[in-house]
Amino acid sequence: MAIVTKEKTAERPAPISETSVFGWMRKNLFSSAFNTLLTLFTLYIVYLTLSGVFTWGIVDATFIADNRRECYDNSLTGACWAGVIAWFDNIFYGRYPRDEIWRINFGLFLLVLWMAPLWMAKVRGKVLIGATVVGLYPFLAGYLFAGGDKGLFMQVMISAAIVAFAINMGNMLTGLFKNVGLNTFLINLAGQSKASDKTRRNVLLGMFGIAFVAVYIWQMGWTAERVGWTRWGGLFLTLVISGIGIASSLPGGILLALGRRSKLPVVRILSTGFIEVFRSVPLITVLFMATTMFPLFMPEGFVLNKLVQVIIAVVLFNACYMAEIVRAGLQAIPKGQSEGAHTIGLGYWGTMGLIVMPQALKHMIPNIVGNIIGLLKDTTLVSIIGLFDLLGMLRSISKDVPWLGLHKEPLIFGAILFFIICFSMSKYSRHLEVKLSAGEKH
Amino acid sequence: MKLTTGLASVATLAVMAVSSATIASAQDTLEIVKERGHVRCQVGPPSPGYYNLDAEGNWYGLDVAVCQAVASAIFGDAGALEIQSVSSQARFTSLANGDSDLLSRTATWTMTRDTQLGIDFLSPNFYDGQGFTVRVDSGITSAMELAGAKVCVTTGTTTELNLTDFSRVNDLDISNVTFEDYNVRDDTYLNGGCDAVTGDKSSMAGNIASFPVPADHMILPETLSKEPLAAAVRHGDSQWRDVVQWSIFALINAEELGITMANVDDMRANSTNPNVRRMLGVEGNLHDGLGLEADWAYNIIKNVGNYGEIYEAYMGGGEQGIGIERAGSLNALWTDGGLMYSPPMR
Repeated sequence: MAIVTKEKTAERPAPISETSVFGWMRKNLFSSAFNTLLTLFTLYIVYLTLSGVFTWGIVDATFIADNRRECYDNSLTGACWAGVIAWFDNIFYGRYPRDEIWRINFGLFLLVLWMAPLWMAKVRGKVLIGATVVGLYPFLAGYLFAGGDKGLFMQVMISAAIVAFAINMGNMLTGLFKNVGLNTFLINLAGQSKASDKTRRNVLLGMFGIAFVAVYIWQMGWTAERVGWTRWGGLFLTLVISGIGIASSLPGGILLALGRRSKLPVVRILSTGFIEVFRSVPLITVLFMATTMFPLFMPEGFVLNKLVQVIIAVVLFNACYMAEIVRAGLQAIPKGQSEGAHTIGLGYWGTMGLIVMPQALKHMIPNIVGNIIGLLKDTTLVSIIGLFDLLGMLRSISKDVPWLGLHKEPLIFGAILFFIICFSMSKYSRHLEVKLSAGEKH
Repeated sequence: MKLTTGLASVATLAVMAVSSATIASAQDTLEIVKERGHVRCQVGPPSPGYYNLDAEGNWYGLDVAVCQAVASAIFGDAGALEIQSVSSQARFTSLANGDSDLLSRTATWTMTRDTQLGIDFLSPNFYDGQGFTVRVDSGITSAMELAGAKVCVTTGTTTELNLTDFSRVNDLDISNVTFEDYNVRDDTYLNGGCDAVTGDKSSMAGNIASFPVPADHMILPETLSKEPLAAAVRHGDSQWRDVVQWSIFALINAEELGITMANVDDMRANSTNPNVRRMLGVEGNLHDGLGLEADWAYNIIKNVGNYGEIYEAYMGGGEQGIGIERAGSLNALWTDGGLMYSPPMR
């Protein structure tokens, strides 16, 4: 006799022991007597640590005080966050004049606004936007931060940057609301949508020229007060150094890597030599040489300020590491790819730029981001040669007389800041990897 | 630590290389400074009492005041100044290669430095010395009772060397517990990791003030070393050296004459004391030899105060001071038995 049900048995939920929190705990934490003991022991350790940190950092801590003595009067065993709070301006902006801090905030705001379209699916011309961020934004921001007299070159670059920013914003708006690029929008607006390519290009160039001249004339009447680099510091300085380092070390690294794989002996030997020399020397030595030895070899009266020296040193140093990462990525691309590119008639730059590099860069992302995070943290070394970057400022708190000896709290605060920055970078790189490798998931 | 020592030796080599060559600009630092419009004054990474940053990002301290005095003497403006913070490995190189006009940072005046590094020291503006801090309840009242003790000390300076010498000379068998960072050194001492701390007495006074219960600690009377801290300029530029040296003397002389920041205007207008009148530029031509304006010393006192006021503000009991007793110390005026002495200004 066969028992056959014609109806399918109704689906039942998984047993409660599999799905509930208790089921999970039983399976993973309390599966045997020994594991139960281990779990309890670990929980106890975690409790001890957390409660200690919580009591020291929150419960017994002092948040409002005028000096360290007042913190002690409040509690001898708690943290004294008041010192860190009193130094917030120094920690974030360094010795930047307090009335001018808006310039730093404004610069950062511009950057965010400038880069925002890169994340918007509807906006067109992302490559151009990316290029202006790297190529023009630094001039505008640099002037905004440093101020002083504008030379002719700076005037041109600043005007170009402002125009580029305006175009970028216009492009973003037309992209979001009309779903077209700014160029198409303007052509339509001018009633030239049916005109020939050449006329359309001339109309656009004309508009660009008018905007440029207008901005150029406007910016001549506007100067920002000069703020010397010695007043730059804190997180701001850390971000400036690592920002420039990041933006220039990748292109530099790509060039060096291509140079090292080049068939031209002079280029290859120079690139290899450069990479090997800089990689075999610790960063602190490079920084030290750049700031103390470099001026000795310079002609009399030639003074390159220390910040520029440091930035050059950081860029060169990191370009070498980046070059090796890029070279590793290039070597992972099968030879067939470039041979295939040659058969369809692409030259060297076409092969590299369109076929090899895009594939290679994707594989390099984890390493590149690792290197960038390393760079950000390496910049703290500049505090040793007397720049007041984030770490330099945090360490100075313990020397300020009202907060004498207060050194643990600032360093913990710095660790938290660094963690937030580095962790968000690594999360973003993970997101980028998933997005770029979407084509490989079937 | 190894790295730091290595860097220091590289720096020393560099200094020697530079000092053997003649620096063209060394002849006319004063002209260069006047043309530039501000003085480039070198201090070190913040150090309590001497040069510190406050929460507003301004420099303050005894050595900073010397920088401000020089700027006031030349430009009549204490703010005509670029303070450079340079690591101790690079300090003499930075002066020798022309980055800094003047070095005003707890540098101890020693013969080697004065004669071999291409720099000239001026007269000391602070006399320091190495000492010990102990817990009051340890019952120790003299450094001679430290036999077999564990002493916390920072590395890389002469402090550690002096301690070893002291231990050997007096047969005390002290064991050194070394640290790179003096905050960690103090924490270890506070948590019972060592019986005493050694360091410069001035900085230890400040450190004790920052301990949870300052009254539980005291500095022993013995002084292990001589540390005359002085400003320095490049070797071979007498004109510039005179300007800096007499700016410092003006601070001391003003205290001796009773000229303060508050009464300097009154003194200039009404004083009949010829010394005061000469110094403040009312009569005579003291300023000619320096190449400065007649009111150079007036500007110093007006902007910075006299030595006593500066000491009180940064080393003494002022709000930003680290609370070191001046009376009876080497830093008192010579009239009070100290070593602060200015040659006559006439």
